[in-house]
Amino acid sequence: MTWWARLRWWSQQWPRMLGPTSGAGDARGRPRSWFTPAARACVIGLLPGLIALPLSLALQRLFPYPFLFLFLASVMISSWRGGMVAGLLSVLLSTVCVTYFFVPPFRSFAVSPIAETYLAAFVICTLLASWASSAQKRSEQALREARDQLEGRVAERTAAIQTSNAELREREHQLRLLTEVIPQQIWAGTPDGVIDYCNRRLLEYVGRSMDDLRGDGFLAAIHPEDRERFRHAWECALASGQSFEGEWRVRSAQGPYRLFFTRGVPLRRADGTVVRWYGTHTDIEEHKQAERALLQTQADVAHLSRVLTMGELTTSIAHEISQPLTAVVAHGYACLEWLGATPPNLAKAQQTAERIIQDGTRAGAVLSRIRAFFKKETAPREWLDMNDAIQDVTAFLHDEASRRRVAIRTEFAPTLPAVRGDRVQLQQVVLNLVLNGLDAMDEPMERAKDLVITTTRDGPRGIRVRVEDAGAGLSEETRERIFEPFYTTKPQGLGLGLSISRSIVEAHAGRLWATRREGGGAAFEFTLPGSAARDDE
Amino acid sequence: MSELPAIYVVDDDASVREALSNLFESVGLRAAVFDSTEAFLEVARPDVPSCLVLDVRLPGVGGLEFQEHLHRRRVRIPIVFITAHGDIPMTARAIKGGAIEFLAKPFQKDDLLAAVYQALDRDRALRIEERALAALRARFETLTLREREVMQLVAGGMANKEVAARLGVAEITIKVHRGQVMRKMNAGSLAELVRMVDRLTPAPRPASGPTRGTYTKE
Repeated sequence: MTWWARLRWWSQQWPRMLGPTSGAGDARGRPRSWFTPAARACVIGLLPGLIALPLSLALQRLFPYPFLFLFLASVMISSWRGGMVAGLLSVLLSTVCVTYFFVPPFRSFAVSPIAETYLAAFVICTLLASWASSAQKRSEQALREARDQLEGRVAERTAAIQTSNAELREREHQLRLLTEVIPQQIWAGTPDGVIDYCNRRLLEYVGRSMDDLRGDGFLAAIHPEDRERFRHAWECALASGQSFEGEWRVRSAQGPYRLFFTRGVPLRRADGTVVRWYGTHTDIEEHKQAERALLQTQADVAHLSRVLTMGELTTSIAHEISQPLTAVVAHGYACLEWLGATPPNLAKAQQTAERIIQDGTRAGAVLSRIRAFFKKETAPREWLDMNDAIQDVTAFLHDEASRRRVAIRTEFAPTLPAVRGDRVQLQQVVLNLVLNGLDAMDEPMERAKDLVITTTRDGPRGIRVRVEDAGAGLSEETRERIFEPFYTTKPQGLGLGLSISRSIVEAHAGRLWATRREGGGAAFEFTLPGSAARDDE
Repeated sequence: MSELPAIYVVDDDASVREALSNLFESVGLRAAVFDSTEAFLEVARPDVPSCLVLDVRLPGVGGLEFQEHLHRRRVRIPIVFITAHGDIPMTARAIKGGAIEFLAKPFQKDDLLAAVYQALDRDRALRIEERALAALRARFETLTLREREVMQLVAGGMANKEVAARLGVAEITIKVHRGQVMRKMNAGSLAELVRMVDRLTPAPRPASGPTRGTYTKE
């Protein structure tokens, strides 16, 4: 059977060797400019017929009757391999050959009437064979093409999926790496508040395993004093679906507590329901310590400047104390006179003694106000009425102002929302601004020397304080630089007052700036928010 | 004299005002108190011995400026200054301006009262003198021109004869005029007349130093 197999192999190979078959074959074969599809169809159409002719002639010598099956085979081969055109060409060649060689009269194209039927049958047979064969071929071709396309597409898709899978894996790996390597503690929790993921840094910091922390276990790591606050904040966030944040002390694996800032945000589905909570957990201990140190330094500098300022005001302070003392002494003498009269005027004496108490109390109040101003330690923030605080300052300055022939006027808002702050420090700001205003008006001037302190509301809960003088005003450049430390326009000034004032106001979450006064002069304004934005506790 | 002296207190501190008022009242004096010099200027002051107790440091016009202001307006009232922080230049300026005393707050009762009495005494003396002068002037006004001439010349030391020669009239006429002058001027002797002429002649007076005197409590 080897010869048969070889024949089959050849029968499959020769058209391929000749060049591309039509259709899908085109893509695979190398294009040859001289070997057009038409030339190929001719070769495939004629070659089997030309091979079949000598074989049939040889066979006719052995067998007496026309032996035509080889032509039939050549037509089928041509149709199969070359398609419809090659098949028809083969049919034509076969018919010509058969008519000439095998239909009586032989070796002539004439056809005897007896052979007509025979020839016609042959032609029809070859046509049918050609049609069937080429149709078969075509459908097989189409099938193969479809299969090839499908395979191609499947291969492409598979490759794409493999790539994206790899990318996905890589990305996931990177993400996990990120959550583990990032210098930040990260956690995640379920919508009902169970913390089910903490990154390695968090676990290492608290020195516990994920299983320990799951659920309420996390609370154990928080300082007992802060625990309730944390639980409350977390529960509120869970209930409302709003992001949550807060500061609390968290115990480290080594034992000591450090201050942490925790922030959690919900991840929501399109319909708004919370799917998961994600959060960060940041160590702010050093930050907080630096902040405290800064506040302390600020307070120290403020105190120093306050003491210096008060030094300048000793005359005024003496005046402020001596007034009630003068009254006390004078009343005292009067009291003795009333008692020493004959008969003693007891009603007057009693009245006078009451005055003595009043004025003595007032002197005491002045003293404690001054003492508060000299005190070094920062007072706890308290709710205060700024009008009241400013009134105290103007009492200090009353005498100083009259010495410099300046009238201090206050225009207070009838009611001011309370602000939370360090009373003495805020008074220092006003004191600095007023003294600056007085200094600005030390030169002889044509217009009246007046200084106006105005308080107004600023928004629903905030307040605004404005100090205006009638001095020369500030140039654009000075207005920019005047808040810089050690910048001063006064010959004996240190250049610290305004810079300290600004840091005090900013430590109260407010703003301090310079502007101009209508009609000449400078104005300084500062605002304070109604509720203190910052807790020192 | 039985008239009640007037004491004015100007201090911007309410409790000091009240205390001074109380103190003066307890020793039988009456004081009117003012929170500013403007308020003080607004009231009509009776023609009685007066004294102004003035705070040096006041809003607007200060005490020392007010003293000068009064001088310029020829308002004559002795001033006792009170201050919480007097320094030497301030004191010097006040005393030079004719102030009676410069007291540091808080002050002793005796110091204050002594100063106030002294001021009132001085004002009283000045007033008596002023009144006498005014009476003298009124008498002088009754003289005729020729009588005034005669008086001037007689007081200048001329004898009747010399006066008659200077004026070109008879000596007897001068004698009559002189008799009229002595009568109208109510002068008992020539020496008295000379003193009267001296007082009537405006002469630059030296800056008034504190004049010592006593005041008797009524």
